[in-house]
Amino acid sequence: MGKIAPANPLEMLAYNLSLLIEDGQIVYVGTGLPMVGAMLAHQTHAKNITMVFESGGQDPTRGCDMPWSVGDPFTFRKAPMTMEMANSFGQCALGYVDIAFQGGAQIDMYGNVNTNVIGSYDNPKAILPGSGGGNDIGSLTEKSVLVGLQTPDRFPERVDFLTTPGYLDGGDSREKAGLLGGPIAVVTQVGVYDFEPVTKRMRIKALNPGMTVEIAQACTGFELLVPDKIEMVEPPPDEVLHILRTIVDPRGVFTKMPGT
Amino acid sequence: MSQKYSNPDHLKRLVDYKDAREYHLKKDRRKRDKRMPLSEAIAEFVWDGDIFAESGFSYVRTPIQAYFEVVRQQKKNLTGIGSPMSNTSYFIARDCMTGIHLSYVGVEMRGNDKNFARMIKNKNAEVYSIWSHGSMAQGFKAAQLGAPCIASKQLLGTDMIKKNPYVKVINNPVGDEDDPVCMIPALFPDVCIIHVQQADRYGNAVIYGPAVNDIALAAASRKVIITAERIVPEMTIRDQGNACIPFWYVDAVVELPYGAYPGCCPGHYYWHREWWEWLIRIGTATHENMLEFTDRWIFNTKDPYDFIEKLGGLRTIDKARRLVEAAEGRSDDTAISFHYDEVIPKWD
Repeated sequence: MGKIAPANPLEMLAYNLSLLIEDGQIVYVGTGLPMVGAMLAHQTHAKNITMVFESGGQDPTRGCDMPWSVGDPFTFRKAPMTMEMANSFGQCALGYVDIAFQGGAQIDMYGNVNTNVIGSYDNPKAILPGSGGGNDIGSLTEKSVLVGLQTPDRFPERVDFLTTPGYLDGGDSREKAGLLGGPIAVVTQVGVYDFEPVTKRMRIKALNPGMTVEIAQACTGFELLVPDKIEMVEPPPDEVLHILRTIVDPRGVFTKMPGT
Repeated sequence: MSQKYSNPDHLKRLVDYKDAREYHLKKDRRKRDKRMPLSEAIAEFVWDGDIFAESGFSYVRTPIQAYFEVVRQQKKNLTGIGSPMSNTSYFIARDCMTGIHLSYVGVEMRGNDKNFARMIKNKNAEVYSIWSHGSMAQGFKAAQLGAPCIASKQLLGTDMIKKNPYVKVINNPVGDEDDPVCMIPALFPDVCIIHVQQADRYGNAVIYGPAVNDIALAAASRKVIITAERIVPEMTIRDQGNACIPFWYVDAVVELPYGAYPGCCPGHYYWHREWWEWLIRIGTATHENMLEFTDRWIFNTKDPYDFIEKLGGLRTIDKARRLVEAAEGRSDDTAISFHYDEVIPKWD
């Protein structure tokens, strides 16, 4: 293997997602970058993970391409069985799903997600598709991971409309509301965030190569918590990048930078 | 024989289990040949003002060609429901649907549906209630179970609860400690069209691949139309023993090969991704585009064969067959490419 180009921001994002997956886990997967992260984990350090999908696909075998939708035939390729939607989400509440990923138009300081409306509900600036399975996954799964491109608009202090619960108003408010599990991380092009254990506020955990606390804060609409020690993410090893580019997403459908 | 609903208020009828039961009790449940042409099935069983449930998963085994016939027949004042409900947009644009119970209207990574956003913003259709996929799925499942409601851990702590008059958060009434639950009523659509791979003439239906909410929807809905890729002898289904919808739920059976196209029908054809990109990126961009798009693909086509001819004919549908066989691992997929040229929107 000769010298290869360093990871672009989308590849870094997929790589950071893959690192959150541990071998042996059951992973609830959506399309796009979460899928790339899960497949990269499967091809590298987590060969024994099982992927499940909201449309009902369970434990598909790997095919010649990736699912283009969470209902794509690749999600139930040679699957031993499929599940009805209600049952597939039920697994998250039952404690059979370890980790799930989801995106959103807005993510706030407590990890609440908005996929309904931007602006006021009665006079909205933008109307978004709605919850889909986001609320279900975020309400029930033991560990959920939020994925998004980080800008001050997309990371406001409070979401305009609360579709998927993070830690609600912080502290123990999520638990008091009767919700299960909760978000453990937010992964963006800047780095990885976690939630401070007492206040449940978003906190910098690790920054991608070239990123700084100032950049992270400039991309955020609220005050990030900054711990004494911040990890720097090591760039992915060449072997991992090679697998990402040749096996996981060879045509760069999800990890090629737009306009390149 | 069509009969009236005892509850004329569709917002209340959605959760009126007694009304659904009354309706089911009066249905003709004789085992009889229910085959009829699509146009007749839609004309007879989809009524103006119905609560209309979307089935399948957006573009997977969704009876899109039957939906096009609903639009062609210009049914009025429908209320949309379903999880997901990605086909809602063109019903609203063509004045068939005036309200929805929202879970999700979009095409995932293909992008947001601008027509839907515009139509809701301009109040062309009202959002009566807001749901997640799973909570709505639990409502349909409760109906199938014969339970008036179900206690859920979904929707708690959200703003959706404030915009959903049907659900209620209470303390778990059968628990002995603090344990908030969201009570979700059983949901009973008036009519649901379901596309399946196999059905017999009586309506026993077989689904291959994810059933999504369709088994529950078939039980919950007052009226059920089955469209099928293949009509098979009853004994074929008896031999397989794998029907998931029994004939007595079903009002009409329509033989409709390619009935889920341009979506995917597992076992038969892959979805036409470019068509969906045209719809989302170009068709939904302006109201004029949406009318032009739906004129072209709905009003100016008369059936699935006509639609496929317009989309490239035999080459197109045979490629769709090869792609689904490769995706499902039923052919040697090493020489199959899923590459396609992304549609660049002209008016974005």
